Amino acid sequence: MWSILYGFFAAWRFRDYKPLPVTFGRAKKWIEQFQPRDRKAAGLLLEKVVYLSEKRTRSILVQQNSALMDRLAEAGLPPNKLVYVQVHDAGSSSGVMLNILRDAAGLDRLGCHLIDAHNSLELIKVTNEVGEGAVIYVDDFVGTGNQFCQERNFVAQNIVGTFSEFLLVPCICEEGLSRVAKEGVEAVAGHVHSKAERPLHDHSHVMDRDSKRRLREVCTEISAKMGLGYDRLATMVILYRNAPNTVPSLFRGSPNQDPFAGLFPRWKDLPIPPHL
Amino acid sequence: MPALKPAVQPQIPTIVPTGSLQHLDPQDVKPSANNPRMLFDAEQLAELKKNIAEHGVLVPITVYQPKGQKKFSILDGERRFRCVRDLDSEGHRDKHGHPLRLPANVVEPPTKIAGLLYMFSIHEYREQWELMPTALSLKIVIDELGVDDSKTLSKFTGLSEPQIERCKKLLKFPERFQKLSLDPDPTTRIPSNFWIEALPVIDLALTEIASLRQLGRDRAIDKLVDKYRAHKIKSVIHFRRIMESYELSEGERDMRTAVLRTIEEFFLDPALETRAAFDQFIIGKKRVQGALAACTDFIKQLQALKLRFTADDDERVELRKALRDVQEYCKSLEQALRGTDDPEIPND
Repeated sequence: MWSILYGFFAAWRFRDYKPLPVTFGRAKKWIEQFQPRDRKAAGLLLEKVVYLSEKRTRSILVQQNSALMDRLAEAGLPPNKLVYVQVHDAGSSSGVMLNILRDAAGLDRLGCHLIDAHNSLELIKVTNEVGEGAVIYVDDFVGTGNQFCQERNFVAQNIVGTFSEFLLVPCICEEGLSRVAKEGVEAVAGHVHSKAERPLHDHSHVMDRDSKRRLREVCTEISAKMGLGYDRLATMVILYRNAPNTVPSLFRGSPNQDPFAGLFPRWKDLPIPPHL
Repeated sequence: MPALKPAVQPQIPTIVPTGSLQHLDPQDVKPSANNPRMLFDAEQLAELKKNIAEHGVLVPITVYQPKGQKKFSILDGERRFRCVRDLDSEGHRDKHGHPLRLPANVVEPPTKIAGLLYMFSIHEYREQWELMPTALSLKIVIDELGVDDSKTLSKFTGLSEPQIERCKKLLKFPERFQKLSLDPDPTTRIPSNFWIEALPVIDLALTEIASLRQLGRDRAIDKLVDKYRAHKIKSVIHFRRIMESYELSEGERDMRTAVLRTIEEFFLDPALETRAAFDQFIIGKKRVQGALAACTDFIKQLQALKLRFTADDDERVELRKALRDVQEYCKSLEQALRGTDDPEIPND
């Protein structure tokens, strides 16, 4: 019964998950991999997923950006003083988010500057030309914040002039929020993902103890090292483009989806199609 | 005789406190973006922290507020800030039991040049770091202030003259090569020292070898980059073997011809490794041993002459001048011998 109920729920809610679309059949099969006594808990886990569909991601980015631009304009920084920076390689989540934002908010037309963080020379030139303004890093999700801070610290040494720094991101974990703030970057996020929201996290108590223990055991069986995701964050945020590596492994499934098939496998968890 | 015109000095903007002293919550202060933590000596920092825990921060830090951001950016006092932040996170309170506060002079945001000059004072301690960002910032200062003289730039920026010279060497390379030293990935980044060490070799090759001149400067540089990436230049210091070979062949026609032919081959043959190509010409290990002995003898001889209490004024003036000449030459030689591979140099 739970598998049917949550199968419909998942197929409707997560329908635009890009790596592998969530269908009723897949969702039902996913629930049925758990022991009967754990199926309800697995379903409840699905209810706790913070799903960022394409539409919602775009909407968050545009709204947050609009509010930030208003605030900066009030502080004397018009759009041509704003430098938007993608922090990872071209084609990565950060680049995709910046493209979405550029198109949806018309950043080019407004005179904002858009730069790839890896293009240090361009960053030096643009910040030198702008002199005083704001650097706005754009990304899709921040977990621990370590990877972002590493990239940002490299970027920051190439900033010429006085710039305030912001991180525009649809979702950030509370761990990442404090880490990023420590570097002096202000996160502008649509959702701050607290530990309490993550049923399988060490510090969360939203699930009954026995179910939590058994589901965590399933995670460990799938992946001994990454059972609760990177740095045991056990996050529940799923982005339509890809699940972060901080999600529990029962969402991602085993490598190549065998023996345990995940509901939200990352691109790299999927088997390589035979024709390739 | 016409009166000499006073030298025109460029206007250097400075950071002037506005006089607003505030006691800030350490959480409201952000560390300097150009001042990463590895700059600090842990032992000294621990000592300062202990001192601040006992007496508080006695000298205010200097901060400014970038437009649009609530947090204050540090211009001066990074170490004090870090100590207070650590103490605060450890739950330390002041002597009245209140949360720690950071006395700070709040100044106007610095102008671009003032900010850059401040940044240089930090980069002075960053010799182990990539020099390219510093070089590019130096170019902005050169352009903005219209000053190119190393001595003046050294005075303004706080960078040493040799550092400025090294930066200038980096600026001689076209942007597409400069970019290679700004690669965030240390495994694919070409270290700044590569360009500094390669420059005399490139200049020499293009001056002396017609086929390389025809190839063009950029393509010749590309050949060296490819070679470095293929680990055929195992250390950027190995470029010195090429220059050493060339210098040693002075006055020896056959050897000079052989060295130039090897340099040409080195550029054009991707498989030829530096040591394999040039070690045959470097037979002068005895020169260094001779120089070491000469240094020791020189000091011993001076000591034996018992010069410390020389009384005659003229003799003292003459001797001091001679010693200064020796000092100057030794200093320039010592500086020329400096240089290491960057820490990020790719492994074999």
